[in-house]
Amino acid sequence: MRVGVEILNRARALHARVIFIVGTGRNVGKTTTMRAIYRAACDEARTVALAAVGAAAKPRMWLQAGTIFSTTRALLPASPAAHLLRISPLQSSAGSVLYALVVCDGLYELSGPPTASGAREVLEELEARSEIAIVDGAVDRVAALAGSPGAIVVAGGAAEAPTFDEALAEITALTARLRVPVFDPSLPAIQLDGALTAGAAAEFIARCESRQIVVRDPTQIALNGRAASQALERLKIRCRRPLHVIAATVASIGPERQFEPRRFGEAVAAGTQLPTFDIYRGAQAA
Amino acid sequence: VRSLQLLDAASASVIGFDWLRAAIAPVSPYGERRFAELRPFFAGEELDAQARAERIILLASALGADRIETLRFELSELPDATNAIARASMGDVLTDPSLLELRRFCMAVDERVGNDAVRTLRETLDTGQRDADGFYLDDAFDADLSDVRAQFRAAQAEFETARGREVERAARALGRDDLGDEFIVMRADVRGALPSGVRVVREAATYFLCALEYGEAALAALERRDAAAERIAGSEERVRARLSAIVRRSGEGLTQAAHALGNFDVMLAAARFALRHECVPAIVAAESVLEFESARFLPLETELIAAGRTFTPLDIVLNDAAVLTGPNMGGKSVCLLTCGFVALCVSFGLPVPAASARIALFDRIAWLGMGREAHVGGLLSSFAQEVLALKEILAQPAPRLLILVDEFARTTTPHEGKALVVALLGRLRELRACGMVATHLEGVAEAACVRHFAVRGLRGIPAPPPTDDIGAALKTLGASMDYRVGEVSGVETSRADAIALTALLGLDRQFVDAAYSALSQ
Repeated sequence: MRVGVEILNRARALHARVIFIVGTGRNVGKTTTMRAIYRAACDEARTVALAAVGAAAKPRMWLQAGTIFSTTRALLPASPAAHLLRISPLQSSAGSVLYALVVCDGLYELSGPPTASGAREVLEELEARSEIAIVDGAVDRVAALAGSPGAIVVAGGAAEAPTFDEALAEITALTARLRVPVFDPSLPAIQLDGALTAGAAAEFIARCESRQIVVRDPTQIALNGRAASQALERLKIRCRRPLHVIAATVASIGPERQFEPRRFGEAVAAGTQLPTFDIYRGAQAA
Repeated sequence: VRSLQLLDAASASVIGFDWLRAAIAPVSPYGERRFAELRPFFAGEELDAQARAERIILLASALGADRIETLRFELSELPDATNAIARASMGDVLTDPSLLELRRFCMAVDERVGNDAVRTLRETLDTGQRDADGFYLDDAFDADLSDVRAQFRAAQAEFETARGREVERAARALGRDDLGDEFIVMRADVRGALPSGVRVVREAATYFLCALEYGEAALAALERRDAAAERIAGSEERVRARLSAIVRRSGEGLTQAAHALGNFDVMLAAARFALRHECVPAIVAAESVLEFESARFLPLETELIAAGRTFTPLDIVLNDAAVLTGPNMGGKSVCLLTCGFVALCVSFGLPVPAASARIALFDRIAWLGMGREAHVGGLLSSFAQEVLALKEILAQPAPRLLILVDEFARTTTPHEGKALVVALLGRLRELRACGMVATHLEGVAEAACVRHFAVRGLRGIPAPPPTDDIGAALKTLGASMDYRVGEVSGVETSRADAIALTALLGLDRQFVDAAYSALSQ
């Protein structure tokens, strides 16, 4: 099985032209997932665009000629020279964001703006220039996809949680949060302008709130791990602009710990109820 | 924009200097630099000031509002290439983003204020470019580039083939479709030994974490590819050095063009201002005069328009110090502000918001009155602050002073207040200042032997609106008030209309009646 091809097919079924890869933390296989999807898209001879948004993400990848990518001024390699398409007014800590086309295969560092509005600009620019855009992004920047048919892949792994159960809880909670359904306008609802915080959620739970609690999009649910799972289980949390999570990928090996790959993949598949791929094993969890 | 000694900070704030600065701000970094250097014109520069205002009007009528907006958008999108020009002049080898900025700069400049340096660089940077907005260190820059890139592509293809064969072989042996850089092999899936070339990175009870070693053929191809990549890097850097040297040699011309582009942006902003506010060039007079017809104080006019109301344009002819009287809320302060704002526009060589104007270049425009006090409730009373402000204004010599005084000495007794205002007018006459002194005190113009202007005032006493709504009250007042200003002669009659206004603004009937009763006694 080629995991990249599988994910690409699922995105295609959704008519998604952007695939956003978010993770439960660092070293959970986001870049490996991105590489797999990228290779599959290149093999289909599609015009592919790549970006990384959020302050921390700066994956370094070997890119083929014809690929469009976003990076920042300081991270653009001197060689091989790329065809610069546009310098954006968006700024990051590594200088202006710019868009370029790979003419000669080489190693390029992807980068982008740290802000949510910047992320939206990057997505629009790449979508306009490519057939499929693949974005490595921070969870809080995925709001740029809200309300659009863009697809999300959630990556989770052993690196960011001390135990198997906690790693599982993290990815399950993140996936559940991102998959919060759209609200039903015919039912009673409490519309929130800002984020749903842990404090507000605890208050709603304490008073056994039965109405829909509606946030703008799933990134406005400011809860993680078990707190998120609890709130999602006990409250009717809904959103105005939903997101589309199409798959999960797992990296059962982290720098400090490792989980049994087959068991971890199966647990994530059961917990998230999503097609789950082990990116290192090249297989789908049963 | 620097006001230099033309305005002190308090006067600038009241008269609308910041508003004007925002209204004429350019949009490009080139314009911003020129804008920061703008200074007012002073006596002796009348022709230059007038010529600038006329050029602005010419530009405005030649381009029209839509074209100006389009050009401003294009200018706002321009990257700042001045850093690149400066770095190249110091011997730096420019990066590709800098060369892109220079190319876009040359394209923008060449169409408007180009010179030979710009044209030469533009032609050079256009070499082999596939699109108008981008930049690529194209093969056409150097025959060597094309050769080394071809070598790289061949080496890369060779490497991919060799490596692809290795990956395919190992994947097939492991029963997989594909292998990443690192991959997991489950022990249960391995029959016998791992395929050759597969190295175990980490071992666990149920699986191996593996990587695929490079075979001899792939390694040799990789070595050739890396060598070709190095040659590309060398060639590309040589081309960049050559382009940077052209930028260095053209530095002076490029800098001049950047200045010219900045000036264009600044003039474009002024033309937009002139069109938007229906401005005309004033006649810039060599003698101390402030004369205009149908002038408007734009910061207030903008607010009024937003509120669905209109500004009543004002006519003034002033060449000395004069008194301005009128009812409360009749626009005395606005008349003073209009004088200051129009004079300010002329000082910066801008067309003025009026039907016509003849105005001097003043050495100082000073405001004394409401809005000037630093704060209330400090060590100094408002009277003391006002006196110190006047002292400061009078202490700074200005051969051509425009002073706008709003209810000076209003916080002392009417008797002494009048004496102080008369003394002030006497001093202004000695200084040959042009000024307007607004006051509620009676008989000042007569006592000081100066001209007297008055706001025409209420056409009748308006009835308070049925609801306690300040917006409705102001609208009613606006409809009843004649804000025009005219020169009056003879003995003035006392009409503050203050009691009627308190009723209009919602004070209760009993209070208003008590005030009328006290007035009649």
